Parts: sequence; C-alpha cells; structure tokens
Amino acid sequence: MSGIGTGYDLSVSTFSPDGRVFQTDYAQKAIDNSGTVVGIKCKDGVVLGVEKTIISKMLEKGSNKRTFPVDRRAGMAVAGVIADGRQVVNRAFDEAVQYKSFYGDSIPGQVLADRVASFVHVFNLYWYARPFGTSVLLAAYDESGPQLYLVEPSGNCHRFFGTAVGKGRQAAKTEIERLKLGEISSEQGVVEVAKILYSVHDEEKPFELEIAWICDASDREFRRVPADILEAAEQQAKASMEESDMDD
Amino acid sequence: MVDPKAAAAVHSGHDPIKHTTSPYVTGTSVLGVTYRDGVLLAADTLGSYGSTKRYKSFERLCKVNDQTIIGAGGELSDFQYILTLLEELSNEDFCADDDAKLSPKEIYAYLSRVLYNRRSKMDPLWNSLVVGGVQDGKPFLGTITMLGVHYSDDHIATGFGQMLARPLFRERHRPDMSEEEATQLLHEGLRVCYYRDKQTTNKFQIAKVTTEGTTISEPFALETKWDYKAFVNPGALAMGTW
Amino acid sequence: MFRNQYDQDVVTWSPQGRIHQIEYAMEAVKQGSAVVGLKSKTHVVLASIKRTSAELGAFQRKLFKIDDHVGIGASGLISDGRSISRFLRNECLSHRFVFEQPIQVSRLVRDLADRAQVATQRSWKRPYGVGILSAGYDKTGSHLYYNCPSGAYYDYKAMAIGARSQAAKTYLERNFEEFAGADVDALLQHSLKALSASVTEDELSADNTAVALVGQGTPFTILEGDALKPYLAALKADEDVPPPGDGEGEMAEATDAAASAGEPAAPEEGAPAAEGPAPMED
Repeated sequence: MSGIGTGYDLSVSTFSPDGRVFQTDYAQKAIDNSGTVVGIKCKDGVVLGVEKTIISKMLEKGSNKRTFPVDRRAGMAVAGVIADGRQVVNRAFDEAVQYKSFYGDSIPGQVLADRVASFVHVFNLYWYARPFGTSVLLAAYDESGPQLYLVEPSGNCHRFFGTAVGKGRQAAKTEIERLKLGEISSEQGVVEVAKILYSVHDEEKPFELEIAWICDASDREFRRVPADILEAAEQQAKASMEESDMDD
Repeated sequence: MVDPKAAAAVHSGHDPIKHTTSPYVTGTSVLGVTYRDGVLLAADTLGSYGSTKRYKSFERLCKVNDQTIIGAGGELSDFQYILTLLEELSNEDFCADDDAKLSPKEIYAYLSRVLYNRRSKMDPLWNSLVVGGVQDGKPFLGTITMLGVHYSDDHIATGFGQMLARPLFRERHRPDMSEEEATQLLHEGLRVCYYRDKQTTNKFQIAKVTTEGTTISEPFALETKWDYKAFVNPGALAMGTW
Repeated sequence: MFRNQYDQDVVTWSPQGRIHQIEYAMEAVKQGSAVVGLKSKTHVVLASIKRTSAELGAFQRKLFKIDDHVGIGASGLISDGRSISRFLRNECLSHRFVFEQPIQVSRLVRDLADRAQVATQRSWKRPYGVGILSAGYDKTGSHLYYNCPSGAYYDYKAMAIGARSQAAKTYLERNFEEFAGADVDALLQHSLKALSASVTEDELSADNTAVALVGQGTPFTILEGDALKPYLAALKADEDVPPPGDGEGEMAEATDAAASAGEPAAPEEGAPAAEGPAPMED
C-alpha cells in the first residue's frame, strides 16, 4: 500500500488506480505515530484517557490539554495533530450550541458524532484542502445513556464500547477487550484506563496522564477526573506495572 | 395600469420593519439591596397579561452562576431569551475549562451592551434588569433598562418600586446591615409595592448572593393590613381623583 | 536543503504523516533573534535581542504591547508578528468593550492558535512564519504561552525561542524552579542572563536589548534604551563568568547585523530530519 512516487498520492482529489485516496491514509499516519488515546464505555459512563509525552520540563503541569468539553453533556479526546484537533473540537462546540439554541435541549451523542464526522469529511473532498491529522474520541451522555464514538480523518464515524488510537493502539485494544465493560463502573474504568496507558507507554520518555469522564460521579457532565482519583489510579497502574515486571 | 408586483416591491422597500412595540406578559418591580455579606434581590412571581393576573408562579429571580443572580421586570419572554444568552456564556466558560467564570460586573456590562444594541436596532428587549453579586469579596448591585441605561447603587428598585420602595431604602438602608435587617427592609419595600401597585401579587421570592454562593427562597406571602384610615377613601387626599 | 515532492504546499501530507510546509514555517522562527520569557507567581518578563539591517538603521522591535494586561514577543517574520499583534489587540479591545474587563490570556492565545491552524489547511494560505511568546496577567494569575506556526500552543513556566535560543533554554531549565517565588528584579536579571547566553559575537546593550514586564499591579511595560541601563549594569556586575564570545563592540554588532539582514544565519538545529513523527504533533 504505497503510493510513493506514483503521483497518485499528492492530492485528496486523486484516486489511485486501485481505488485509494492516499492523502487520507497519510493523514491517518500522523495519528498512528502520536500518543495513545483510549476510550471505554463503562456501566454508568464513558472514560477517555490520553498519554501525553512531556516535551519540556518547563511546561506547566496539566497543560497541553488533549481532552475538551464541547458541551456540558459531551467532550472529546484528541489524538494526532493537536492544532487540527482543536479545530474539530471547536466545530463540535458550535454544533452543540446551534442545536441547543434551536431545539432547547442538549445535542444527542449520535447527532453530534454525525455532524462532526460530516465536517471532518468535507476536508477529503477538495484539492485545496487537506484532511485533518486527527482522530477524535467523543464521549456523550444523553437520554439513551452514555456513548462513545470515534471520528477519523476520512470522516468515518463508529460507535464503540471501547477503542484506542495512536502509537499503542494495538496493545491497548487487546487490553480493552479483556475488560468486562458491561460490568465495571466509571471509577474502576479510570483505573483500567490508567493501567492500559501505563502498559503501552514507551518507558524512555516522561509522560503525563490526562483522564476525563462523563458519568454519575461527574453529575453527567464532561469533566476531567479529580486530582485525587487520578492520583490513586496512577498509583494502582504503577503498582500493577511493577507486578507484571516481577512476573517476567 | 400599475404593476402590482412593482408596487409591492416599492411598498415593502419603504415600509419600516416593525418590531416589539409593546410587551405582552410582564413582570413588575424588582428590588435589590446590598448588605454586610452580599446582595439580596426581591420580586413577586406574577406574570401579568395586561391587567390580567395570567401567571401566578413565574420566577423572575434567577441564578446565573455561584456569584451572580439576576432579576427582571418587563416582557417575560424577553427575559427568558436573556437567560438563554447567559446560559450560552456560562457554557462557554465551562468549555473553555480555564477556571475563569464571568463575574457579576462582566455580566452586568454584557447585558447593558445587549440591551443597548437591541434598542439601537429599534428592536428592544423589553426589560428592566437587576444584577446582584459578590465580586472580590464586595457586594455588587446594578440595574439596566430596556434603553440600555445602566447604573449601580447600594440599593435599587425597578418600575413602580422606584417610586414606592426606593424612598424607604434611601431612608433606612445602610451598607453594613445584617441579613435580617436587609430582609426586613425588602419586606417593607415589597409590602408597599403590593399595597399601591396593582400588578403586584402577595407571592414573593428573595434571592441571596454571598461569598458562600447563591440561594433563592421559596415563594412566601407577607402579612398585610387594609384597615388604615388612608385606605378607606384613597382619593380624599389627592385632588382631582375620585 | 532537504527536498521532496511532498513539501510544496500546506495541503499535502507526506507518506510519513507530516506536513513539511508547516515544519519549514517552524524553521522561520529559529531564524529570528532570540526572545526569552519567564514568570513568577505574580509577574511575567519577556526579554529580546533586536537586530538592525544596517549600521545606521534602527533596531527592529519585536516586543509588542497588546493590552494593559498582556504583551507578546515575536521571533521569525516580524511582519507576521505585527499582523498577529493587530489581531490580538482587536480581540482584547472587543472583549473589553463588551465585558469592561480584560480578556483571559488563555482564551486570547487559544484564539490565536485556532487562527494559525486555518493557515495550515488551505492551499491559498501559508502558515505564520513567526513564533509568539505571550506574557500576561489576569484573574487566574500570571501566564506565559508559546504559540507555534503549526497552530499548537503551550503553557510554560519559562521558555526561549529564536536563534541560538537553546543556550537560553538551558539556562532557564537549570534555574526555572526558583522563578515562582522570585521578585521582579530577580526575574529581570534571570531574563537578561538567559538572553545573554544566546548572544555570541555581540553583547547585550541598551540598543539591542528590550525587556518587558507585566504582573500584579504592573501594566505591560517595555523597558529599552536608557530605562534598561541599570539592569544591564546590574547584569554586568553580577557576571562571574563573561558570556561566551565576548565581542568587540560595534564592529561585532555591525557584522552580526549584516549577517542577520542578508543571508539568514545558519540554523543550529539544522534542517528537519526526513523520518520520524511529525515534530508539530506533540
């Protein structure tokens, strides 16, 4: 699957002879190389976790955010090019505002996911644009309960019980499949997400965990997990890492 | 023969656009006083349809955030629209996620801009607003009219309350009043409004902001007394009435 | 110079998932003279080296006041920096007009970043060729942000950008932990020490240096020329070791200036590597 040198991979408005749009694939590459982002739907809510490599020790702690509320009842975690991701986040925010002002109620998760996906898709259609170098995990909580979606640079959108994107996605997905997502609470979910992100992390580089959730414990609002809960989850993640090291 | 289409076009081109020229469902006075620990606002719960007491439990005092409350008189649908504007702003703060919340003074400034802009478009939001809050540990109280006129003061009353309650406030208000004293003063103001303003009902609420946050009371009624001599023949002391 | 068929415009992804045009724009930041920024709990300081295109030319300003509570330092294409200044000033002004209160610095730099991103996704645009350090003070405290041409922005305790900024960065990394509690004079001295590490042939003078200060009870103020002399004197008195390559005064200044005005100084960081993850991503 390489279009290098063929000339079919220079524009998003060019198909290759075997029916690929290489520019879209290349945008996906930007995400595949970036920090891991994990999302799981638990019994009572959704937990999103991000592995952030720390590029300088002079950065403020907890800055360089990758999880964003887009409404009180929905939020996103961004993998890949953060500047592109913020653009998608802004669009989601605008859609949520527009929906609420028109219908008087919060935007349902499905509607928001579809609208964001349509927006992202548009950048795959014209020669003068490029696809976003970002995948977003969308967590929402509406009348039908908590939901998790993934919107990709191609404009594809899927609903998930749990998924992962970024560098460690394969290992992370394997770990997620082992969880009993239908049984665990969001509090437990935070610990599991922390464990997964610690386990897929390349130990060389310093990193920071960012975890946000929308569940009963957050009053069904999309918020970052409180510092003490995050701290406890990280402790458990570290402990289980040491445990698995002992096993080796 | 006049082309009817052309005539219509000319006509519509010259016809002024008509906006709200009078309110429909209205609330009357809002009273507000500062005191030692913050601000109290008071209002009744009537939504009048002309002189009909159409809605008797319309809450005209609302929380904006932990440090700000707002009260409104005038067109109540316009007030509801204003509340959606404020909700949008507060959602923006939520999503900005930077620990900054709109302060009472910012909300006051914002609303004065909104009301003035609308009146400049000849499409006013038909309200008198009162904004109360605590900012930097100090009470803040301000009012905005449908024309965009705005000022802040230690005590405030809109509508009929300006004539009926404000004289009482001028006489008795002190910035260092206790909550009990301030509540008492507001009761006096509400009572006199109820006596003399036919658009007031005896069902009131008081909203409070302190550094601790905001509370809005359950509706309550005040004790009234109608056997004053002055009430027997109200026209006797006013020449030209009957 | 490294070249390939994927680096001609900003709407082409390379097979590795990079956009070379953005990376080149980030190189432009390194061509500009250095700006350092650092902050305590209550104050933020920016310090910059100014260049001149000719011996008789004025030194080009690169610190700009945006509002009473915020200002920026630019490195790279300063003309882009001025257009950014105008945007930021407008944002501050319209916020003040509506709310009668200064805008949150976090939201100001966010809006700038979102604007910068748009120029990285339209074929008829180019990214900003300038890096912006913003210093501000608002109701959530003191702030120092770095805005990158890619549309990413970062919240720093201390940072240096521009030519030879690595030396200044090293100084800051060694000392930044004591900045939080430092007083204004200490911050100013640290900023000049960090900046002087980024100077090679020349040394800091009242002509080629500008410093800016903002913080609690201190509106954004630029110190340059005579106003800066006491601080430079203090720096000199304080220096145990002379800065590397202590220059020959005006001669050095002139050659340095000529070099900077003519062909761009050799970027010490070098051209971007062909492989690996996109540097703009983190």
